[in-house]
Amino acid sequence: MIARRGSIPVLAVLLAVVAVTFLGVYRQGPDLASLWSWLAAGCGLGAPIDDVDAYILRDLRLPRLLVAIFGGASLAIAGAVMQASFRNPLASPDVIGTAAGAAFGGALAIVIGLSDLSVVNTPAIALVGAIGVTWLVFVLAGANERFSVANLLLAGIALNTLVGALTAFVVTFRFDNYTASSRVLFFLMGGLEGRTWEHAAITSIGCLGFAALVWPRARELDLLTLRDDSAHSLGIDAARARRTLVWCACGLTATTVSNTGGIAFVGLVVPHLARLLVGPGHRVLLPTSALLGALLMVASDLGCRLLPPSLNLRLGVVTAFLGAPYFLFLLARQRRGMAL
Amino acid sequence: MSVLAARQLQVALGERTVLVGVDMELRAGEVVLLCGRNGAGKSTLLRTLLGVVPPRAGRVELGQRPLGEWPPLARARALAFVPQEVETPFEFTGRELVAMGRHPHRGRREPLRDEDRRAIEVALDAVDGRSFADRAVTTLSGGEQRRIAVARALATEAPLLLLDEPTSNLDLEHALQLALLLRREAAAGRGVLIASHDINLLAPHCTRVVVLHEGRVFVDAAPEQALADGNVATVFGVRATAASGYFPRDFRLPS
Repeated sequence: MIARRGSIPVLAVLLAVVAVTFLGVYRQGPDLASLWSWLAAGCGLGAPIDDVDAYILRDLRLPRLLVAIFGGASLAIAGAVMQASFRNPLASPDVIGTAAGAAFGGALAIVIGLSDLSVVNTPAIALVGAIGVTWLVFVLAGANERFSVANLLLAGIALNTLVGALTAFVVTFRFDNYTASSRVLFFLMGGLEGRTWEHAAITSIGCLGFAALVWPRARELDLLTLRDDSAHSLGIDAARARRTLVWCACGLTATTVSNTGGIAFVGLVVPHLARLLVGPGHRVLLPTSALLGALLMVASDLGCRLLPPSLNLRLGVVTAFLGAPYFLFLLARQRRGMAL
Repeated sequence: MSVLAARQLQVALGERTVLVGVDMELRAGEVVLLCGRNGAGKSTLLRTLLGVVPPRAGRVELGQRPLGEWPPLARARALAFVPQEVETPFEFTGRELVAMGRHPHRGRREPLRDEDRRAIEVALDAVDGRSFADRAVTTLSGGEQRRIAVARALATEAPLLLLDEPTSNLDLEHALQLALLLRREAAAGRGVLIASHDINLLAPHCTRVVVLHEGRVFVDAAPEQALADGNVATVFGVRATAASGYFPRDFRLPS
């Protein structure tokens, strides 16, 4: 498949359109006209808009949009990195416990009341949980000495199960406190309500920082899709490269899910979609995945916001709804003898 | 002058000792066939010579310098490898896979240069692979995938080639073309080491045959001596004469 780089500008324009819609189209509050006035006022080209409208745009919608953009991009890049590093198109950032660790940390912060003290406490403790569980998976798999995909998967399955059980215990432990348990449940299902500039800062710094580490290694990712001895013969230390890149994928995942809660399928599905558009070469695949991930996340959250509030639709539920049919499509491709 | 040498190599995989006191050399301009029974240690020796498997004792020298002292990219420019199995689950095209062979010559973010493109086309021509080079490798036959793997090794322009079962999955025409190609590469100055069970087809094209038996070099000699009846009987447990004349060295495919 020849890489179709033209997809990148098209996706960038689509993302810009959806982002503007995200900021200016809603059932209540400032509309597109208010958005333009606000932007013009920011550039010194017009009168300031109403303070409440400016607050909604600046402190409610914009950080939420940034979390969606950088979070979606992070999960998608992490998915592409995991799939190449594990040489498996079905690998995702969830398999080595990062998301489960974040879920546990976030749930714990809410249940013990730390989340009430500061908005950054939940993401901070979720981040600690994500990194802690990932580190434990690496230690149990012996991956710091000898990188083995099979060992990492086994340790990941074990820790995912254990941490999942602990999270369930934490939730049920406070079933008597309806507010706490419903907040935990909302966190676990993933969503972007009430995201602040602090959340946006953690997500965007994580995304830009780890993406900057991954991007120069795009060709290494191509070579890592080969067997280790072939990659070695082409001058790559496959074990070290896989270890570094998997940690980067964990960093991208951790800085996102600690702010958004559980977002299913983005890391798994988006790299597949991107490969259909531009082929498997990571130099083009990584930016395409990032744009597509951001687009999917913003569009999904926009969908959540535009649907009647009585539906109480969560972002993580929407992405899961989108992911399941896509995997049925992949199954159909596979049955026709095509590669995943 | 030896180019790639194993000196008293001892290699273990887990608890099992696979190679014991192996000495062998690969020099520029020769084609060496490495054969032996299943489990004799051929692939392990190849992977040790490549630097993937560390020896428990002894050493591998590349250009009279220990292999481990070579920077990875410099080693990759000197020593190319064709693996036994098909490799990627993703839909890279054949040309993209061959282009990976240019990685050791390029900076991390350097795009393909004219000389890289030339090397890729020369390698594809050498394996008669242009007709399927732009198809996804996952859609190619086993033989076509193997020819792409050989082209990738050629694209590195490394003076030494190590090949693991290169004729498996190849039809007779392409297997013979590959044997002739490897002879041509050796004549042009490359050293070629082939681990294979395909003795009948490859031995006539080799300058030496190294027979591994129970983890040791049983014999290292010209094909006629190495595959003498007694050696074949001892190593392979069969009374058979190697049909070295079946596909003679001067075999030519009809044009």
